[in-house]
Amino acid sequence: VKKVFALFLGVLTAIGGFVDIGDLVANAAVGARFQMNLAWVVVVGVIGIIVYAEMSGRVAAISGRAIFDLVRERLGPRFGLANLLASFFINLLTLTAELAGVAIAISLASGVNYLLLIPVALFLVWVVIWRMPFERMEDVFGLAGLALIVFAVTAWHIGPAWGDVLHDASHPQIPPTENAFTYAYYAIALFGAAMTPYEVFFFSSGAVEEHWTRGDLATNRANVIVGFPLGGALSLSIMVVAALVFAPNDIDVGQLSQVVLPVSAELGKVGLAFAILGIFAATFGAALETALSSGYTIAQYFGWQWGKYVRPREASRFHLVVLIAIVASALWGMSAVDPVKVTEYSIVLSAAALPLTYFPILVIANDAEYMGEDTNGRVLNFVATLYLVLLVAVALATIPLMILTKAGQ
Amino acid sequence: MSGRELFAALHLLDRQLVDRDGRLCGNVDDLELTESVEGNVYVTAILSGPGALWYRLGRKRLGRWLRTHTAMAMPPEHGDDPVRIPMRRVTGIGSAVTLAAHRYELANNAAEIWVRDHIIGHIPGSRHSADE
Repeated sequence: VKKVFALFLGVLTAIGGFVDIGDLVANAAVGARFQMNLAWVVVVGVIGIIVYAEMSGRVAAISGRAIFDLVRERLGPRFGLANLLASFFINLLTLTAELAGVAIAISLASGVNYLLLIPVALFLVWVVIWRMPFERMEDVFGLAGLALIVFAVTAWHIGPAWGDVLHDASHPQIPPTENAFTYAYYAIALFGAAMTPYEVFFFSSGAVEEHWTRGDLATNRANVIVGFPLGGALSLSIMVVAALVFAPNDIDVGQLSQVVLPVSAELGKVGLAFAILGIFAATFGAALETALSSGYTIAQYFGWQWGKYVRPREASRFHLVVLIAIVASALWGMSAVDPVKVTEYSIVLSAAALPLTYFPILVIANDAEYMGEDTNGRVLNFVATLYLVLLVAVALATIPLMILTKAGQ
Repeated sequence: MSGRELFAALHLLDRQLVDRDGRLCGNVDDLELTESVEGNVYVTAILSGPGALWYRLGRKRLGRWLRTHTAMAMPPEHGDDPVRIPMRRVTGIGSAVTLAAHRYELANNAAEIWVRDHIIGHIPGSRHSADE
C-alpha cells in the first residue's frame, strides 16, 4: 500500500494538470466540435509530459534543485526573469480559473451562486497549503480525483461501437464544419494543456519537498508512467462522452456545468455525485499546484527558502507570495470574469512559453556535473529533442493562430 | 591558474546558496573580482541580494541604492558590507554553493526576516511545519 501511495505525487500532478477546469472544458468542447479527430494530440502531449516530467524529477532527486532554480542558472538572470514574469502571470490566470472551478463544483452540489463561494475556495486552498502535510495533500486530492473515472463509466454505459470510436480517433480528419486554422488552434490548446509548465514546477518541487534522492529514481519513473497516462485517459474519456452526447446534437460546450450533464443523464444522481467530487478534487488539486507554483517559481529564481517541508516562518517570503497569489486570483475571479475564457487563454499562452521552461530541463539532464551517471540516454535525448523542436514550432504558431481564429471561434 | 577563474565564474553565477543548516539563503547574484599584484584575477566574494542582481542586470543606480539600504538594515556586527559574502565562507561548490554561515546573518535575508516578523509570524500555526 505504501508503494501505491508513493505514486500519488504523479497522480495529483497529472489530475491537477490534465483534468483541471481548463481541460475539463477544453476536452468536452473539443469532443463536441471535433469528435475524436483531435484525440491523438492528447497522446502526443502525454508522451511529452512523461519525458520531461521524468527528467525534472530525476534532476530534483539527484541534485536537490527544482526547475526554476535551473531555469535561472541556465538561461541567466535576464531570460530567467522574462520566463518568471510570463510563468507567474500564466499561473495567476490558471489559479483564478481553478478557484472559480472549485467554487462551481461546490455550487453544483449546493445550489449557491458560485461567485459567493469563491472566498470559501480561497480559504480552503490557503488552509491546505498552510497546514496540510505535502504527502497527505497528494493522497487526499489524488485519490478523490480518481472519482473522474465516472466519465469512463458513462462512456461505457452509453455503449458506442468502440471499433468506430477507435477508428475515428486513429484516422483524424478536419470535420467539414471546421477549417485548418481552428483545428490547429484546438490542437495547440490540447497540447498546451497537457504540457502546462506548472506541472513540472510542481512535480520537481514536490520531489524536493518529499526529499527524494537517487534511491527514489524508480519511484520517479513509476510516478510519471502511471500518473500522466491516467490523467490522459481521464481527459480522453471526457472527450469521448462529449463526442457521443454533444456532437450529434450540435451542442457547444462553454461552461463547466455542461460537462457533467451526460453523466447525470446516464448514471443518475450517484454518477453526478462522483462527477462533482472528481471535478472538485481536480480543480482543487490544480489550485494547489498553481498557488504553490507561484511561490516555487519566484522563490527559486531569487534563491529564497521555499516549501512546505519547513515551518512557514522559515519560508516567510514564499508563503507571502502564495497568499498574495491566492487572494489576487480570488478577487479577480469574483469580478465575474468568465473562468472558461481565462483558462483557455492561460493554456494557449503557456503553449507560447513552453520552450523557455523545457529547454533548461533538457540541458541539465545531460549535465554530468549535476547528474553524475544518471544523465539522459541516447533514445531519451532523441525523443526529448524531437519534442523540443515541436515545442518551439508550437510556441511560434500559437499567437498568430490565436489572432487568425479569433481564439478558436 | 587562468582556467580556474573561468571555471569558478561559470560554476558560481546564478547558483543557489545553502547555509550551514541546509536552508536555502539566496542566489549568487554577482561576483566580486580582485586583481592580484601578479595580474591574476580572483573571485574574492559572492554578492547576493536584490541590489547585486539589479546591478548585474544593468540597473546600476537602483542596484547600488538597494545594496546600501539592505546593508543598513543589518546590525553593525555583521561588518560594513554584509551583502558581500567572502569566498572563505564558502564550504562547497556543487549544484548549490554551501556557506559556513547562518542565513539570518546574510543581508540578502533582511526582507525574509522582516516578512517573518511582521506578517507570516502573526498567522496562527506559522511555528509548526505542516509535517509535524
